[in-house]
Amino acid sequence: MISHSHDGPFPFWLRAMVMSGALAPGMVQAGAQTFNTALPVAEGNFVFREQFLYRGASDDPSPADRDLSVSGAISVLGYGVTSDLTLFGALPYLDKELTLDGPGGQRLERGSHGIGDARLFARYTLFHDDAPGRTFRIAPFFGVETPTGDDHAADRFGRLPPPLQSGSGSWDPFGGLVLTYQTLDYELDAQLAYQANTEANGFAFGDVTRLDGAVQYRLWPRQLGGGVPGFLYGVLESNLIHRDNNEFDGKGDANSGGTQLFLSPGLQYVTRRWVVEGIVQLPVVQDLNGTALEDDVIVRAGFRVNF
Amino acid sequence: MTFRIHAIVLALVVAVLSTAAIAAGPSYRLEVNGLACPFCAYGIEKQLNRIEGVATIETDIKSGAVIVTMEDGQVLEESRASQAVDQAGFTLRDFEEIGSPAGAGAP
Repeated sequence: MISHSHDGPFPFWLRAMVMSGALAPGMVQAGAQTFNTALPVAEGNFVFREQFLYRGASDDPSPADRDLSVSGAISVLGYGVTSDLTLFGALPYLDKELTLDGPGGQRLERGSHGIGDARLFARYTLFHDDAPGRTFRIAPFFGVETPTGDDHAADRFGRLPPPLQSGSGSWDPFGGLVLTYQTLDYELDAQLAYQANTEANGFAFGDVTRLDGAVQYRLWPRQLGGGVPGFLYGVLESNLIHRDNNEFDGKGDANSGGTQLFLSPGLQYVTRRWVVEGIVQLPVVQDLNGTALEDDVIVRAGFRVNF
Repeated sequence: MTFRIHAIVLALVVAVLSTAAIAAGPSYRLEVNGLACPFCAYGIEKQLNRIEGVATIETDIKSGAVIVTMEDGQVLEESRASQAVDQAGFTLRDFEEIGSPAGAGAP
């Protein structure tokens, strides 16, 4: 039950947490925390972002009583090649632990920890309209998730199933479009993204399509004075994520894939040089296939530095 | 005796401040479109700081204005200011010299 199934006892979305856009942080400017933004990185500037996360899932429709937790961090470095073109690299380090009832009723534990698959991507500002105190931008982005994580890890039960591996072993292209409208009082972001997951080791995770939205509202200071004060934003984000079935030897897995909608309240404090932020992603709709394990909560917190 | 010491200290302070004022070059007011968050302000300031001769930069995010003061004997060309703002990803709306060194231009 543990080692022969490629997605039965192992939640289909675990893959997404480690290696796809679901756990990939947004770009490193101030902006949305669960996806990207179109705000610029100045030419020759670097921005670094560290995002710590915890994800728990224990709502198991199967009798295995699965309980999954993932914790770790994602490091992102961005560099402004020009004011319009920015290159990003993201590297996750995650600790995954799954417990479930074994065939004899005993409690089993499997998991892994280590560096996951790095994501390299570029974003180009196709259009921007600046006015006093506001900006509107449209930016497509394209990249690839590279197989830098270990995809052959094993434990005493044998080789870990693909969703529990640190890496996928596959090269997975992705792309999308992000729109940002920012004023001194609030910011709106929207993103449409798609990731095509390819086969490795006879296994392919389902492709991922997502539609994201975010609103940030300046809570403090209520009235702007002179200079450049720090801004405290209240944040509400949403993520509509659809994943196709995983495939094993070319055949779809009926216990994988589906659609989730998250609503996420959070806070963000933004200064000239750094940002601190936190957000809680709550699943409000989970229409998952078969016995796919449902999310309980995702918590993200971190910082960004401008240099 | 105490009065003399105070007078000397005051004279020194006045002399230092006067020297600083004379040493400062012209100031310019740059009005920038698109500037709407503190994190973005840093990008503009960093680009402007790369210009040779820039002494100080003060940003007012509410008005979208950046005040650039040059070192003595240095000037800021509008084309160079526009280039720096553009490299930061924003748009220069207006450029104006707002101050000259003390005594400059006096008869």
